[in-house]
Amino acid sequence: MPEDSRPSTEEPRLTTSRPARRRTRHPRHIIAATPLALAGLLALLVSGNSLRPFERITTIDGKMASKSDYFKDPEVQRLLLKHGIRVDIHRLGSRGIATQSLRGMDVVFPSGQPAAKLIMQRQQRSVRTARPFVTPLVLGTFRDYAKTLEAAGVARPQRAAGGGETLYYDLDMKKFLNLIEGRKTWNGIDFAEHSNRSNAGRVLVRTSSVCESNAAGTYLSILAFVENDNQAPGTERDRHKPAGSGGGAASDPVLDVAQQVKPLINLQGMAADEQADSYFSDEGESIAPVSLIYEHQFLKHQVDHQKKRGKQDSRRVLLYPSPHALTEPELISLGEQGDRLTELMESDAALRRRAIELGFRVRFSGEDGTSEQLNAYLREHEVQVPTPNPDQTKADAPDLDALERIINYVGSCPPAGQGDDEDDEGDE
Amino acid sequence: MSPRRHPAPPRRRREPVLALCLLLLAAATLTACTDDKDHRTLRVLASPELADVEPLLKELEDDTGVELKMEYKATADLSGPLGSYDLAWPASDRSYLLRQQEKGERTARPESTAIMRSPVVVGLARAVADRLRRGVPGGRLSWADIADAAADGTLRFGMADPRRSDTGRAALVGVATAAAGTGGALRAKDVSCDRLRGFRSGQTLTGASSRELIDTYVRRQSAADALIAHESELLTLNAAGKLKQPLEIVHPQDGMVLSDFPLMLLDAGEHKAYRKAVDWLRRDDVQKKLMERTWRRPVGPDVPRPAKLRAEIGNALSYPDQLAVVERLMENYGSTGGSGRSAAGDHVVFLLDFSTSMRGRRMADLRAAFADLSGADPTAAGKFARFYRGERLTVVRFAGRVLQERTVTVRGDGDLKALNSFVGKGGFGDDTAVWSALGRGYDVAAGAVADHPRQPLSIVLMTDGENNAGLSYGEFRRRHARLDAAARDVPTFPVHFGEADAGALRRAADATGGRMVDANSSSLSQAFKEIRGCR
Repeated sequence: MPEDSRPSTEEPRLTTSRPARRRTRHPRHIIAATPLALAGLLALLVSGNSLRPFERITTIDGKMASKSDYFKDPEVQRLLLKHGIRVDIHRLGSRGIATQSLRGMDVVFPSGQPAAKLIMQRQQRSVRTARPFVTPLVLGTFRDYAKTLEAAGVARPQRAAGGGETLYYDLDMKKFLNLIEGRKTWNGIDFAEHSNRSNAGRVLVRTSSVCESNAAGTYLSILAFVENDNQAPGTERDRHKPAGSGGGAASDPVLDVAQQVKPLINLQGMAADEQADSYFSDEGESIAPVSLIYEHQFLKHQVDHQKKRGKQDSRRVLLYPSPHALTEPELISLGEQGDRLTELMESDAALRRRAIELGFRVRFSGEDGTSEQLNAYLREHEVQVPTPNPDQTKADAPDLDALERIINYVGSCPPAGQGDDEDDEGDE
Repeated sequence: MSPRRHPAPPRRRREPVLALCLLLLAAATLTACTDDKDHRTLRVLASPELADVEPLLKELEDDTGVELKMEYKATADLSGPLGSYDLAWPASDRSYLLRQQEKGERTARPESTAIMRSPVVVGLARAVADRLRRGVPGGRLSWADIADAAADGTLRFGMADPRRSDTGRAALVGVATAAAGTGGALRAKDVSCDRLRGFRSGQTLTGASSRELIDTYVRRQSAADALIAHESELLTLNAAGKLKQPLEIVHPQDGMVLSDFPLMLLDAGEHKAYRKAVDWLRRDDVQKKLMERTWRRPVGPDVPRPAKLRAEIGNALSYPDQLAVVERLMENYGSTGGSGRSAAGDHVVFLLDFSTSMRGRRMADLRAAFADLSGADPTAAGKFARFYRGERLTVVRFAGRVLQERTVTVRGDGDLKALNSFVGKGGFGDDTAVWSALGRGYDVAAGAVADHPRQPLSIVLMTDGENNAGLSYGEFRRRHARLDAAARDVPTFPVHFGEADAGALRRAADATGGRMVDANSSSLSQAFKEIRGCR
């Protein structure tokens, strides 16, 4: 993502360490800033970026997925540099992280609990971790599509303060899945009445690969929950087994649900990574009418939009699925270097504060504390405050084993080769 | 870093910084500059299209110390040994990922970052675009309209080879997805019949890569009226002024495949240099330069665009997630030869029941079906399924015996009119000799197979009654068994209509490798469309 240059241009030290700042479109400004840059460079030299007279910069290698957004933020980078830490991001999906070798890594930062648990299962020792924030899973869409869904009785707008156009809709997942299962196309649910465009494509959600990503896996658990009559698959009692359903083999409730859910995902064909990347690009609406993203990505975008253009991006709107799923990224240390980072994430108020500014819901003390600060920040920046889960319905996630089986079934994922992973030396 | 005492004028802006570094170097506190600018050379397997970014790579090297050594090679899925490459930079990584997935190995998926985007579009000669638009209500062209014009011989196009070029492959998947018209990704059953015969009949130019295709087109502009390629390549071609007349860019309204030119890290050991390169390429100012130089669309939202890159690109089509589907598609599309028209068109033998029970409504239905296949059907499916130029059609009218027979090779509207009047003029007979007719069909097939062994051939047997004259089914099967293998393998697609014996027709289909379709539940037109392109 092209980073927001504002915070860092005010920060001479970053200006020098990042050539990006020198090559902006305002040469005069740059020339004016050169003395500053010089000062900054000297400051860096003094603080010992690589000269190491006094203090050394530690580079921490971390595999992470969408939560690399946090470590890519120039302000976070600046805050970490104050502590002598630079994070080198290796980008791949959370579940991909969990199923691949972690050799050479200091930390990993899967975007949700299922992948985090998988990773921790593989560790031979107890590890330090930090769970600095949470964020709900959401569906990013565009105004015309949201209105189409509203007219179809599937989505309901949240009231915007001041009566303006809302940025947020609540999405009835049960009804939404009915559209998908009914093979409806956007034109078939009267998209053309809400737009000057037409779309003969089927109603579907674009996700990243279920084999690779936390978002897609979590979305699967919502689908499974809804398809399984609002209970997590694998938790039902025998009463739920369809008596004597064909074949004689005892039916496996988890696989039954996986079978139901599979077409809802596979309909999209090949999954594409970086959903948020394409959603926020200018071609976003063409690439996918509905994309699976995280709330923090949307809120950050809206705040940036306000800052840059003085108004909300009213074309892009969110659908909050009901039942909803909250994701909890976990920063897992794999060694001493990593321990420093997890400790910092737990203890440093500025880093947590910055997380709010990036759209995350940060736990401070009480449970209720997570949203208030974020809401205040959004209000301050004139971005509509969402109500992520008005009716308090939560999709209970299946247990890890059941979820893994559903994911593997739906995605036909390559075998996770546990044998290789038991010892970290095993594979490359 | 290489000390550049005399940097080129456009780089003047960086001089102070460069000087500063040199100064510091001189001050012997050298690591400050070299540490961050540790020089790395990375070998990149790149799509030939990306030769246009080459001039910017020097700046990348100056700014980051990362040198990308590009080796341009047309490859649709990065097949072949990748061992010596650090990075790959294709137009799309979809085919590569499909191939990886097919292998089922738990190989680490390479880190991959989209750098630029460009949709696969059609560039049309102005006059042709205007003519096509006049025939379409609303004037918004679709792939179906392109296929229709290709089939009736009024549009000749060039497209890169889908086997060798990722652009060609993206184009093929796009057209096929539009042809299937399901609104979702292509599935195996969508490609079990080839709906692109008519479309393909209009292809006159190809190339191993879209570069090659475009070079050929520049030399032989009269050989095609349209090119299917990335929007960026066509805009670049227009801007280069090498064409007598610029091509008009059409974003087909039934959808497109979007390429995102991902930079992929093949050698995980080069992660740091990869990050630097990617971060640089994704910078807003670099994205702007890339856009200006290559006409690809920036990935980030913050780069202002010229009008030509603000055109709506339509809806992205879903890409199939099974290698077998894409492979079947390419197999169907066949070898389009080096250049010039593709391999011979199909030969279809229609055995049509003209027993008296066909009189009236049924006959009207049959006439309508042939008119639809001759270009009257306005639906997308109809435009893809229609008779096309170069296709050979034999119609056998039968009742209690074979009544009449006519063969045409479609060269123009006149041939189709002649065929339609042959079908439409009636002349019914008593009784229904289904198996004698099919026997005659195989006689025609045996002759055709001998004369044109490479021409795809199929038989369509339409009947509305049970066999009550001529050969019995058993006799037919014995005759059929005595045919040469090539003729024996010609599939028969029975169309069940009226009071025909579905069981017997299905047996004949199964015995010959064809498939029965039921026209009673829809129409003859629908049934014929359904089996078009099946072999």
